[in-house]
Amino acid sequence: MSRNLHEADIDIGLTRRGFLKGCAIAAAALGLSDAMIPRLAEAAASAQRPPVVWLHFQECTGCTEALLRASHPDIGRLILSLISLDYHETVMAAAGKQAEDALEGTVKRYEGKFVCVVEGGIPTKDGGVYCKIGGRTAMDILKGVAPKAGAIIAIGTCATFGGIQAAMPNPTGAVGVRDLIHDRPIINISGCPPNPISFLGTVLNYLTFKRLPPTDQLGRPLFAYGRKIHDQCERRAHFDDGRYVERFGDEGHMNGYCLYKVGCKGPETFSNCPAVRFNDVEVWPVLAGHGCVGCTEPGFWDTMTPFYERLPGVKLPVGKGIVQGADSAGKKILAITAAAIGIHAAVGAGKKMAKKKDGRKTGQKTEETR
Amino acid sequence: MDYEIKKAWGVLLRLFHWVYAITIIVLLVTGYYIYRPWFGLYQGGASFSMALSRYIHFVAGYAFMGAIVVRIYLFFFGNRQERFLDSVPVTPRNIKNLFGTVIYYLYITDRHEERLGHNALFMLFYIITLFLALVQTLTGLYMLFPENLSLQSMGLSLFGTQQEARLIHHFIMWYFIIFTMTHVYITIWNDIEMPEGLISSIFNGKKFKTKKA
Repeated sequence: MSRNLHEADIDIGLTRRGFLKGCAIAAAALGLSDAMIPRLAEAAASAQRPPVVWLHFQECTGCTEALLRASHPDIGRLILSLISLDYHETVMAAAGKQAEDALEGTVKRYEGKFVCVVEGGIPTKDGGVYCKIGGRTAMDILKGVAPKAGAIIAIGTCATFGGIQAAMPNPTGAVGVRDLIHDRPIINISGCPPNPISFLGTVLNYLTFKRLPPTDQLGRPLFAYGRKIHDQCERRAHFDDGRYVERFGDEGHMNGYCLYKVGCKGPETFSNCPAVRFNDVEVWPVLAGHGCVGCTEPGFWDTMTPFYERLPGVKLPVGKGIVQGADSAGKKILAITAAAIGIHAAVGAGKKMAKKKDGRKTGQKTEETR
Repeated sequence: MDYEIKKAWGVLLRLFHWVYAITIIVLLVTGYYIYRPWFGLYQGGASFSMALSRYIHFVAGYAFMGAIVVRIYLFFFGNRQERFLDSVPVTPRNIKNLFGTVIYYLYITDRHEERLGHNALFMLFYIITLFLALVQTLTGLYMLFPENLSLQSMGLSLFGTQQEARLIHHFIMWYFIIFTMTHVYITIWNDIEMPEGLISSIFNGKKFKTKKA
């Protein structure tokens, strides 16, 4: 599926080998033993495919692309053959009224049973007019579909926490699904884009065990988001040993040292990127020599920029819109304090000297004037 | 003028003070190294400078937490000078002392209330520092145990994400640098201005006070 679907000579079917490989990868990602692989395969091969409605809102389709354009298309194919994808704006053949009818039909027919996948943030400002599909706002569509779903999977940082369009000043008032829907179980697969394996693992977990995987306090499945990138990173030994890249392209960079000092956000980001890696070609940003940008975290963009600094820039109350590094603010306060101490001491010393002069004049000891 | 020696600080408070002081210095140095490692010890020599800094930082952090617990205990069960109501500016007597001390420190007047314990201005900053120390330990624990789900829910509700907790932790580091600097200065200043032996009192617990006739 990495090429066009209409090219007839490409077989879009899934081979047995690819199918089992996909199940094995998902089992490894879920942290299950290999004894569980047959059960996963059995569940994946069963005839009951959950109907899925895939909603697109404020997004770049990157999450779908990441899923479909893996270099070995097995994962994408596996996902698409595991589920019955009834509505997906990027890959469906239907258009216009047919498409909207398919959505309405699925929601009505499988009420409480279908899985609703949401990709993209939902604008809420000005009645949500900033994202409209078929004349309805994103908020309206979500409110019509999500409460009737059996489970909701928010895929990508936009759908989970608002993502890039929720960055300051958030002109469209974009929020994630969890800010709008409270009465249905929501699984957050955050990331920009998230790893397709995390999505596959969640779906397989749901099919095999008939329940959603355990999550952290932000609703992200623990098997994928339970540990920090930093704690699984292949450059961690360089970090502990004090070997850092000082500038991109320097000797440390060529030697593969830790990217901590050039702003890698691995120490504050939860994801399985170092373990699972991307697109079946065993790479991920830090391996390629660029620091993590922290895309799986809430407040991604605002709290993670500037990307090449350790800490986010801070707006100072003085001066309009001056974004100062957290540090330079601290250093300034420190300098002011030092100056204040100096002035205070100088005034004290001056006053003592003046008093001594006065004391000599009146013939009294300074001690007694107190 | 006659002076008499009066016992001001119990042994536990003095112990608290020095554990607090030493751990703050250690935490500031190792913490700044963790934030911005300005050197790598013997590059390639398996020195583990970051791992060591982190280790020392965490051990000192636990000692720091212990010191906070001791100080809170002394607020309730310490001697008269160490207790909460003696110098925290919540009583009329202490609020009066707070403004009196500010005026005295600004060289506006030479008159001030002689006290065996802390003055109210110091105590005000002491309480702020203790509160920030608590925030510092909570953000620290949140970052130290990222996989603990109950710490995660505490951290998310109080501070936000790991990155936001890190920023708060970093800002409070600057407060501690400035507090330490100011504290040392004002102590030396007091020691020069008043002949009560303030600096030695934190070693031996005794102060010199004017004998009342």
